Amino acid sequence: MDIVKDADGPARPPSAQADLVPTAASRTAFVPLLGLGVAFYALCLHVAEVDVLRLFEGLPRLAGWIARSWPPDLSEIDVLARRGLETVAMATVGVSFGAIIAAPLCLLAARNIGVTPLLALPARWLLNALRGIDSFVFALIFVAAVGLGPFAGVLGVALHTAGSIAKLWAETIETTEPGPVEAARMSGAGRLRVFLHAQLPDALPQLSSILLYMWEFNVRASTVLGVVGAGGIGQELKNSVDLLQFDRVLTILLLILAMVTAIDQLSAWLRRRLS
Amino acid sequence: MTPTLAVSGLSKRFDNVIALSDVTLDVAAGEVVAVLGPSGSGKSTLFRCITRLTEPDAGRIRVDGQAIDALASATLRRARGEIGVVFQQFNLVRRRSALANVMTARLPSLPLWRVALGRYPQALREQAAEALRAVDLDPQRDQRADTLSGGQQQRVAIARALMQESRVLLADEPVASLDPHAARMVLGLIRTLARSRGLAVLCTLHQPDLAAEFADRTLHMRSGRIVSGADEA
Repeated sequence: MDIVKDADGPARPPSAQADLVPTAASRTAFVPLLGLGVAFYALCLHVAEVDVLRLFEGLPRLAGWIARSWPPDLSEIDVLARRGLETVAMATVGVSFGAIIAAPLCLLAARNIGVTPLLALPARWLLNALRGIDSFVFALIFVAAVGLGPFAGVLGVALHTAGSIAKLWAETIETTEPGPVEAARMSGAGRLRVFLHAQLPDALPQLSSILLYMWEFNVRASTVLGVVGAGGIGQELKNSVDLLQFDRVLTILLLILAMVTAIDQLSAWLRRRLS
Repeated sequence: MTPTLAVSGLSKRFDNVIALSDVTLDVAAGEVVAVLGPSGSGKSTLFRCITRLTEPDAGRIRVDGQAIDALASATLRRARGEIGVVFQQFNLVRRRSALANVMTARLPSLPLWRVALGRYPQALREQAAEALRAVDLDPQRDQRADTLSGGQQQRVAIARALMQESRVLLADEPVASLDPHAARMVLGLIRTLARSRGLAVLCTLHQPDLAAEFADRTLHMRSGRIVSGADEA
């Protein structure tokens, strides 16, 4: 764009010269900015200890593990399947609890409902805080509080997901038409009744779709929760890697892939039917 | 006799624009009064100020001699129930049935679970069906609002206003989104209902021929004022 402006510069009326000033200024700023960016990236490479040589040295070891992982160890497939189910259960229950927390939060946060305008801002802060802390981090804390096992994972998923669901739900509700709301308000009804009658039906397909998406997302995300001791197939994965049982690792990875793909497909199919 | 709807000295300004300037008008029971004027003349503001969707700066609004202005918000909510409203865009809940939309008028008295699930008591269902019969839409009562034609949707909106059992019906450009045939049908229906139920109807329009055909009186608005017709009776 800048080049084009320069090319037809002489043909412009004098008043257009003013446009060129900020452009020229931004071009002079570009070189130092680029240098700063390159320097920052170099610093990151250094701090992250990126070392291609070490990768090459490690490759034979990796290849050896991959070779040893075949055939997958199916001897404990029943235990692993149970652990997989645990992951799905953790995500499902966690998302359902999250939805229960999210429902009142999104009613408070959505600008076009305003059940209690005074609480709208605190509600937004709370949901942003919940959303900002990953379920992995929540699970880490809950393992310390309620002990090892999937329940800590459920609580972690519930809190983080509550924030995400509430934000997406509030945004969906904010896109509903204002007309029917005005008509319902004219009856003298309060805001909650107006919402339930005039806004919920139109938003419901989208709200359900968001819930399904969060479920699907959390099944994927929950596979790692076992690493912090919060139950599920991730725990088996960590144990097997620690014990260098790569045939078992392969079984677990295949199981996770199958599980996540199945849930993704199911959720996508259900969401297609909703729209 | 006290007029059913009495508006006096109604004024509203937005920043430096005077939208309504000292508007005074009366509508008697059973009477249809049309408000004509170009867009931007203040018709919609008049409508929104009388329904209190917008707060007027000054003026009085009385329904059956009772003031509904200067009320605290809780009583205002109930007072709004005194005025039935029909909008240009119908403002129906698209994914609810015609009957559920008519039920809108009774939201304040229904428990939350009935509102959410759309399950209404039999007596109220009968009453809503009756309102739909009055606008000739009984067969469509369980049809979703967004599957109805424009004219049918506006008739559902009129049934919704009837269900409110208010004495005043305010209609803001009720036929502006309709084809000529549906427009005449809706206005004819409004006039019939005004006569049979003693409703005081105030209706903004932008077509003089429709006003002449269906209204008992026509008020002309320009720049936020009523410029003629206010003294006819």
